[in-house]
Amino acid sequence: MDCYTANWNPLGDSAFYRKYELYSMDWDLKEELRDCLVAAAPYGGPIALLRNPWRKEKAASVRPVLEIYSASGMPLASLLWKSGPVVSLGWSAEEELLCVQEDGVVLVYGLHGDFRRHFSMGNEVLQNRVLDARIFHTEFGSGVAILTGAHRFTLSANVGDLKLRRMPEVPGLQSAPSCWTTLCQDRVAHILLAVGPDLYLLDHAACSSVTPPGLAPGVSSFLQMAVSFTYRHLALFTDTGYIWMGTTSLKEKLCEFNCNIRAPPKQMVWCSRPRSKERAVVVAWERRLMVVGDAPESIQFVLDEDSYLVPELDGVRIFSRSTHEFLHEVPVASEEIFKIASMAPGALLLEAQKEYEKESQKADEYLREIQELGQLTQAVQQCIEAAGHEHRPDMQKSLLRAASFGKCFLDRFPPDSFVRMCQDLRVLNAVRDYHIGIPLTYSQYKQLTIQVLLDRLVLRRLYPLAIQICEYLRLPEVQGVSRILAHWACYKVQQKDVSDEDVARAINQKLGDTPGVSYSDIAARAYGCGRTELAIKLLEYEPRSGEQVPLLLKMKRSKLALSKAIESGDTDLVFTVLLHLKNELNRGDFFMTLRNQPMALSLYRQFCKYQELETLKDLYNQDDNHQELGSFHIRASYAAEERIEGRVAALQTAADAFYKAKNEFAAKATEDQMRLLRLQRRLEDELGGRFLDLSLHDTVTTLILGGHNKRAEQLARDFRIPDKRLWWLKLTALADLEDWEELEKFSKSKKSPIGYLVRQGPSLHPIPPSGE
Amino acid sequence: MAFPHRPDAPELPDFSMLKRLARDQLIYLLEQQHEVDKLYKVESKPAVSSSEQLCFLVRPRIKNMRYIANLVNADKLAGRTRKYKVIFSPQKFYACEMVLEEEGIYGDVSCDEWAFSLLPLDVDLLSMELPEFFRDYFLEGDQRWINTVAQALHLLSTLYGPFPNCYGIGRCAKMSYELWRKLEDEEDGETKGRRPEIGHIFLLDRDMDFVTALCSQVVYEGLVDDTFRIKCGSVDFGPEVTSSDKSLKVLLNAEDKVFNEIRNEHFSNVFGFLSQKARNLQAQYDRRRGMDIKQMKNFVSQELKGLKQEHRLLSLHIGACESIMKKKTKQDFQELIKTEHALLEGFNIRESTSYIEEHIDRQVSPIESLRLMCLLSITENGLIPKDYRSLKTQYLQSYGPEHLLTFSNLRRAGLLTEQAPGDTLTAVESKVSKLVTDKAAGKITDAFSSLAKRSNFRAISKKLNLIPRVDGEYDLKVPRDMAYVFSGAYVPLSCRIIEQVLERRSWQGLDEVVRLLNCSELAFTDMTREDKASSESLRLILVVFLGGCTFSEISALRFLGREKGYRFIFLTTAVTNSARLMEAMSEVKA
Repeated sequence: MDCYTANWNPLGDSAFYRKYELYSMDWDLKEELRDCLVAAAPYGGPIALLRNPWRKEKAASVRPVLEIYSASGMPLASLLWKSGPVVSLGWSAEEELLCVQEDGVVLVYGLHGDFRRHFSMGNEVLQNRVLDARIFHTEFGSGVAILTGAHRFTLSANVGDLKLRRMPEVPGLQSAPSCWTTLCQDRVAHILLAVGPDLYLLDHAACSSVTPPGLAPGVSSFLQMAVSFTYRHLALFTDTGYIWMGTTSLKEKLCEFNCNIRAPPKQMVWCSRPRSKERAVVVAWERRLMVVGDAPESIQFVLDEDSYLVPELDGVRIFSRSTHEFLHEVPVASEEIFKIASMAPGALLLEAQKEYEKESQKADEYLREIQELGQLTQAVQQCIEAAGHEHRPDMQKSLLRAASFGKCFLDRFPPDSFVRMCQDLRVLNAVRDYHIGIPLTYSQYKQLTIQVLLDRLVLRRLYPLAIQICEYLRLPEVQGVSRILAHWACYKVQQKDVSDEDVARAINQKLGDTPGVSYSDIAARAYGCGRTELAIKLLEYEPRSGEQVPLLLKMKRSKLALSKAIESGDTDLVFTVLLHLKNELNRGDFFMTLRNQPMALSLYRQFCKYQELETLKDLYNQDDNHQELGSFHIRASYAAEERIEGRVAALQTAADAFYKAKNEFAAKATEDQMRLLRLQRRLEDELGGRFLDLSLHDTVTTLILGGHNKRAEQLARDFRIPDKRLWWLKLTALADLEDWEELEKFSKSKKSPIGYLVRQGPSLHPIPPSGE
Repeated sequence: MAFPHRPDAPELPDFSMLKRLARDQLIYLLEQQHEVDKLYKVESKPAVSSSEQLCFLVRPRIKNMRYIANLVNADKLAGRTRKYKVIFSPQKFYACEMVLEEEGIYGDVSCDEWAFSLLPLDVDLLSMELPEFFRDYFLEGDQRWINTVAQALHLLSTLYGPFPNCYGIGRCAKMSYELWRKLEDEEDGETKGRRPEIGHIFLLDRDMDFVTALCSQVVYEGLVDDTFRIKCGSVDFGPEVTSSDKSLKVLLNAEDKVFNEIRNEHFSNVFGFLSQKARNLQAQYDRRRGMDIKQMKNFVSQELKGLKQEHRLLSLHIGACESIMKKKTKQDFQELIKTEHALLEGFNIRESTSYIEEHIDRQVSPIESLRLMCLLSITENGLIPKDYRSLKTQYLQSYGPEHLLTFSNLRRAGLLTEQAPGDTLTAVESKVSKLVTDKAAGKITDAFSSLAKRSNFRAISKKLNLIPRVDGEYDLKVPRDMAYVFSGAYVPLSCRIIEQVLERRSWQGLDEVVRLLNCSELAFTDMTREDKASSESLRLILVVFLGGCTFSEISALRFLGREKGYRFIFLTTAVTNSARLMEAMSEVKA
């Protein structure tokens, strides 16, 4: 404990900085860092190295190797660089490696060295070559800025949605700027560059000259500039060894420092954290590291080895061939607790707990002291918070133990902050592990969110750990476990050396029917890798048949798609497949397919009934469905045909079909109708009036009403109208005519086959007065 | 007169939420989204409107698409440009888009969907307002609406909690049920843990029981539907009812106090009730006499309005009754009912057949004639070949040759069929009974049942005791059983099935009935293990009629509910009756 603050270095009066080791690296580098292009992603991301053979003339024949390591130095990928000379490397926010080539082409690689895509930064860049390039991060994603050989800038603020912007010319710029950087203000990317003693700010429209307020005189050139992680602060290093620190807007100066070293620093980065007390810049030379801020003295470290700085949200990571360290401003809670002779409540509580473990009565004294001041709640909170900022698990534990001890003496202390911190620390310790190598701090983790952390684990193919974390934090399955399993499965299908059966089985064993997992998505991925058979196997596991169909169609397994669509019970889906099939197959095959699927067939018939009558006929023909064919022609006889000849012909075809269908009744009825139709036509010609399309009954009635009794009798005989009907018909018609004479004659002619119901029946119209 | 519910009968869930939902959606869709200011009905004639944008709210049918296509193309020819919007309800179908594309107007219209499926017509009656369901599914074999049914059930279960007990019979019921379950599984979590409000759900296909739907209705609400046609819970009373020169649109639901008391009554009781009511009303009016000023003021301000309202309704229903009576006596109603009862009971078949023949010969009504033929066919397991041919010939002569297609439809739907020669039910039964001694009997009976889809009405009727034994006069004023909805002559088959299954809480012991219904594979029970359901919710039963239900069935089940302390809720694809069923099957000249 005595030496716990030994690595604390004060800067000015208020702040301490400490540097501790994250990992000792055994990445077995063949090259010196200084000979390589280096890129390290923020938030404890991976490190990419590409030995830069293009810088020196020698050994251009040897192909360089691109290597990717985790932050702990575990190799993730190594590949021979076969493309053109690379000017700059950088990581996107999605942890994709962007390699900017001299010709302006940007190659994008995955974390495991898998080539993703490439894009060009435009013709202008291609012609003038790339002199320098930066990869930067904005709210929208990751951007690329390029300085061309013609001393012009081109940038794209988001490589995901590539829009190139050529920045305006800097007047009188003859040589490359001594230093430059990208700034992001108000969602717009700017470029700040230094030419000799002048600073210029480039935006989309114009180039303006700017002057930092309160800049010491005598500056003839700027050697280095640095923008803070949040783009809020700017630091400038001049050739006089003077450092200016201020806001990015160049409206306000924060402080300045003169380090009296005129050699250009290798790197300069900001070292601050959200709500920092002190704003400091870390400057690195070959063998020296300096932390400067608003204080007359600076903190100095000696660098034993060639090192590289990675700015983070709340500090700076420094890695070299052998170690990986983290330098940051000591957080307030930790400072209060651990500062020598601190009387802060948290410090007292920690002491109290330690005495308690020693079974000393001092524990009580300390505790009383805190309680008397009424600061116990605060003490517990402080310990919890400080635990979060500790890297070493033993320190985390002792602080949490103190917090838990203090909690016992509080009546109503909400437990969730304590519980959440314990959970978060377990997660953090797990991912900080050497094998995983994501050295996130608590603040970075909170900024990144658990979802993104899970994504990054998935990206590193650390599926089991990701799932354990999900289960441990009890994340909802759909967001957590299922999603990770789905990712795992998508990775699994890319393993080409495993047989389709094994992959499908392995996936199904793991996934089972976890809710939220879409087998069709995985199958789509398999199909994307050219494994159609595997995709089909995977689709078998998809419980929602509706989901299987679109992919099956895409894979040209339309018949399978059809049966799946029918299974799903979604007629719309069936129809979609049907129309696909219709275009894909020749007519004969299409009809054959339909024949085996009655549901699809009836659906297609419905469609044809309205849209393609001819196809409908063909369908019936193909099936030898004479009954329906007959019905089809019957319908045509009154719906499609207008001329009487056409109608009769249609009826004839119908009658033939009915005969074939052995439906004698329908055939006979149809033939009767043909006769009737012809007769009606003749009646119209001879007698005038409308007869066409009347039923037989109505035809006879009309004849009687028209006084053509003979004709009516004839018709009744021809069509064998039964007596009963004829009687009803005549009586009704004659009564309507009020032709009582004829009615009486008729009633006496034969014995009525319908009895005397006429007289009693209340339904008949006027009862003939003389009919009694 | 009106039977009160038992005191322990459960409360009905509040369905007004569905109504509000539908109304808000529609208003949002039409007013906010599309700024519709004038509404027209989609008819065969072109809409005349000068507005810049036309918005169509249609069912997803090819016919409607062609209507729209014609309209758009006519506009194009006339050199008019407007915006067109098609809103499909309840969903858009790919086939419709295809048609729009084939007609060359796909680029001119934009499409939207309105997922509306449930309209509460009354406190216990939800309708999907899909009258086309019947023809689409039972005739054309089109399963498009099954998805809609499943969605509707899903909506109900999200709003009113899961259903712990599910029963069903019929192919469509089974498919809808399975699809619905799939939907629930996909979206689980939402209904889980909710307390069920409705304890049972019963799904039933219309083709399980055509007989009930084909009978003439004699309870008041059914009779009003048969006579005046109730549309979406309201009816147009013509001048003959309103005794003025205007017709009047009247909402018929539980809010109409007079109607609510007579809707489930046998028609023979209604007149008596109404005149009693009229006398009571008069007495209340008469109380005015001898009132002092203050009392009179009270009377006018508080009671008079209610009395006047009641008066108005009373006179409307009396008018409706008179009108019904007039129509029915003209049509020889007694004779018709007698024939129907004879058909149901299965005696005097020859007489009934000649009655039907005469009915056709006299051209009484094409739909009525068809209905009687179907009733004869179903109760008798098909017509004997001679009758089958002669009745059809008569029918074609009376009503026109295009009905040849109608007959083909009816045959396909199993509504009007021909007996295979010598294959009457008794013949089949004797054959089967002979085979019972045989070891292969089981197999052979299976083969028999799969041979042809027979209605087996007579056997089912016997099994389920559908024709009550009458000793003395059936007292229609104090009904004993559900048969009262058909004057005590017949217990509706559909309702009896529901009653039996609910009593047993499963299909157990009903195997024979299920077999006779040709549904050996299609009857299902699903009890969920959750026992969170309160005893009150377990007495609430949702009955889903796929293909429509009649008001008689609703009345019968309401009666059953009162007897047993249940409450039934009805969900139907549409309210139907015999005429609607027959029209759905008929081919008419376009």
